[in-house]
Amino acid sequence: MRTTALRLAGALVLACFAPVQAAPDDHAGAVAALADVRAAVAEIVHIEDSYAVGHGIYLRAAHRAMNALVGRRDDGYAAAFGDPGDGVGTLGHLDTMLDKEGSSLWTPAIEGAKANVLAAADNLQSAFGEREMEDYEADLTRALANLALVVGRPSVDGVLGGISGALGNTTLGVPAGTASVSGCAPPAHTPAYGIVAQRLVYVALPRRTASTTIPDELSIGRVVVQGDDVILYTRGAGAATTACGHTAQLPRADLQRRRLQQTHLQRTRDVQRFTDTPAMVVAAANPEPPYTAAQAHDGIAVFRKSCLQCHGADLQGTAGPSVAGTDFLTTAKADKWTLSDLRTTVFQNMPFSDPGSLTPKQYAAVTAFLLASSCYPAGTKPFPQADSSTLATIKLGPIPGAKPTNTKLGTCAVK
Amino acid sequence: MLRKAIILAAVAVVSLVSVSRLAAQSTWPTADSYVSADKDSANWILPARSYTGNRYLTSTDITSSNVATLKKAWATNIDARGPLEVSPIVWNGTMYVTSSHNDVYALDAKTGAVKWHQAYKPHVIAFSANRGVALANGNVYEATLDGHLIAYNATTGKTVWNVVAAHDTTNTFFTMQPVPYKNMLLLGASNGDWGGIGYLSAFDASTGKRIWDWKTIPGPGEAGHTTWAGDSWKRGGAAIWSGIAIDTASSTLYVDAGNPQPDFLGTIRKGSNLYSNSMVALDISGATPKVKWYHQFIPHDTHDWDPAMPPVLFSGTVAGASRSLVAAGDKGGNFWVLDAGTGALVYQLAVSTQKGQNTEPNRKGDIACPNTNGGVEFNGGSYMPETNAFYVPSVDQCGLWTSPGTATYVTGQFYLGGAFPKQVGPSTGYMNAVDIGSGKFLWRKHLAYPQIGGALSLSSGIVFTGGTNGDFTAYDAKTGSVLWHNPTNQTIQAPPASYSVGGKQYVVIASGPAGVNFADPRLGQGAPTLEGTYSHATKATITAFSLP
Repeated sequence: MRTTALRLAGALVLACFAPVQAAPDDHAGAVAALADVRAAVAEIVHIEDSYAVGHGIYLRAAHRAMNALVGRRDDGYAAAFGDPGDGVGTLGHLDTMLDKEGSSLWTPAIEGAKANVLAAADNLQSAFGEREMEDYEADLTRALANLALVVGRPSVDGVLGGISGALGNTTLGVPAGTASVSGCAPPAHTPAYGIVAQRLVYVALPRRTASTTIPDELSIGRVVVQGDDVILYTRGAGAATTACGHTAQLPRADLQRRRLQQTHLQRTRDVQRFTDTPAMVVAAANPEPPYTAAQAHDGIAVFRKSCLQCHGADLQGTAGPSVAGTDFLTTAKADKWTLSDLRTTVFQNMPFSDPGSLTPKQYAAVTAFLLASSCYPAGTKPFPQADSSTLATIKLGPIPGAKPTNTKLGTCAVK
Repeated sequence: MLRKAIILAAVAVVSLVSVSRLAAQSTWPTADSYVSADKDSANWILPARSYTGNRYLTSTDITSSNVATLKKAWATNIDARGPLEVSPIVWNGTMYVTSSHNDVYALDAKTGAVKWHQAYKPHVIAFSANRGVALANGNVYEATLDGHLIAYNATTGKTVWNVVAAHDTTNTFFTMQPVPYKNMLLLGASNGDWGGIGYLSAFDASTGKRIWDWKTIPGPGEAGHTTWAGDSWKRGGAAIWSGIAIDTASSTLYVDAGNPQPDFLGTIRKGSNLYSNSMVALDISGATPKVKWYHQFIPHDTHDWDPAMPPVLFSGTVAGASRSLVAAGDKGGNFWVLDAGTGALVYQLAVSTQKGQNTEPNRKGDIACPNTNGGVEFNGGSYMPETNAFYVPSVDQCGLWTSPGTATYVTGQFYLGGAFPKQVGPSTGYMNAVDIGSGKFLWRKHLAYPQIGGALSLSSGIVFTGGTNGDFTAYDAKTGSVLWHNPTNQTIQAPPASYSVGGKQYVVIASGPAGVNFADPRLGQGAPTLEGTYSHATKATITAFSLP
């Protein structure tokens, strides 16, 4: 949640609300820590996406990323390379949060984040000493993977949620100067943060205030429009409010009914009235796998050359297993495969006799071809060549409403 | 069927063939038939001919002087969705074979005509392959890629029963040929690269009901359990997937357990990892198997070098003395001879190039030989008393191994801790003849393609084998000179067998598309195109050869 994310117009009458374990300085620390991680990631991604040549340029990017992570008080800080972060560094912020007495609900997540920052720093340290480009890239890929865990996901509660998970699910998400109320009931006034036993249950916002923005690190489970207010319930709200002892206070039945009645479109429309980031709400559904039609087309040739011999012209498998269509998707659902699992198998283990031999572009293209063959709709966002933590959130399985060109196999022809 | 049997018997008498052929012509094999299967030259009723696992034939019309005249008697195409690895079962003039995707066929063993065909459409977890059926009680039994064990009526092909025989069908499947033994079917499960624990099961042949399981990884409190660090044993692999041998006199079952997993990451499973990469002798006289002895070939394997060769029991002469021996071979390029009574090592011989074997795969990558599909493969080899030699093909490849240092279990996916290696350098093979007396090569032929086709040896001094390049070849057992060969133009990764119909001897081999592990760009077989047409014919064929 960026410090600028919640600019609330109008004067607030804070005296109306009972304060509940607000920790505004920790909130700011977590947000700043997250900003430093993102600065480090941006340094790495920028240099990876460029066509830069020369050892020094890459070394500089790794050092700048390190500086953003560790901060200038750390021995690993190398001032000569500059600092894309705030100077305190992710580690500095997290240490400040963890140095306090006692622990909060968010402590395990922040401790986990710190461990992953240290792991990423270790990867960067290795990168400093690499001579070969591929070794450097391997180090940075591992650093990125670790940093993805530091950032975490708002939808994940607990130690695995990273900083985002802590911000999206606990009191850590409450910014300084905003109201915390009991999350057991809808708020009397907005804006307000509903809290139950240190868990963030909802963020309530006035609908018609043009300058209101939804917090970045929030996993929205339900949206309730109530008069002139909108209440964004977190995914963990239902579980958290069982601690209220008066679950009837939370209009769960009402919410369930609304969920059934309101179409996805309607919900999006409601939110669009007051926010410019409706994608936050869309993310509550299982996202579509990203790939473009052009990628899938390029994947035809890759599949033909490197995959077809074992997986067959109809993608149902000859010496190997099926890789698209009903059999594949049914198995994917039963085995709970995510797009990340598919990516790992394709990018790391295939082709069987020569794994890792294709270029990232080819791997992305052939994965797009497989998704298209399974009748996933093409979009505008390409299948990423680099690994992305979002892929693990996309579950694979039979696609409702799909119209396969081969109804027997459940596959779609790719052009 | 009875009428036919009588006619066959009459022909057999006229041909003055051995009494054992006559004795075999009952309706279905009896318990005695299996025990004396090695003496029955008309039929082939166990995967590797007899419980000893030795593909060796004493009564043969094919000799080194007439083998050059061998001609194709018939060829029958079957389901070609994948490679053929089938070892045919032949009884009373009917041959039972399977395709990679579990289709079962009953063929007229004299003409190749299809008597019945059962199609099957299993979900495939990773590799499609099947090594054949068991025949008992008038049923043929097949273990399938989706973890089922199915009984078909051997005369009609109709399903008698169908049970789920795998404990976890998300990561376990069957490629092994079930082995009939005392109204049981013995069967190992393939799950050694997918996060399971290996086991050998016995099923009631009448009902399909499970009688016992023997797990290859000792659980808490069992001997050998401490050879696994922490909880690593829980997904430790050591699958049983190729074949078994049984000493019926002592009720001892010999079995090899496969590689530990994650295959390429040893750091999270420190220890020797028993009974992975081991031969285990089990006492199966009681209600459940008991370990008599074990011999671990490669402790703490990190290269998927499992002992793929089915055990072969034989009496060989070592240093002038006859000994009861059991042979093994692993994908690490080793041929092993052990004392069958104690498991003590008699000797070990490298039959493939070996290099870099003691370096665990790491992030930067290391070359080690053989490749993961190298060394001695799942069809093994055979022993010939006349030459006191063991004939075993091998693969000669090297691989580049890498491991990222982590392993994640994902249901239904490989659990490797890395990727299968990239093959580097040449891809060749050997046909090896190992002198059992000395433990050294009697002869060996370096061939242009990997050799995994097992071996059938005839007492007349001939050894048959097939290569992945499609050549089906007869070697002179003493010298290694090629006496005859036939290009099938399809990959051979199945073992040869022999049988007789009407007094005429046939040698049979299965060939087809290359398996995942043995796809070789040099084969030039072509491949199906995306449009569904075929640039070259890709067929799967059962071919029988006979003398004119």
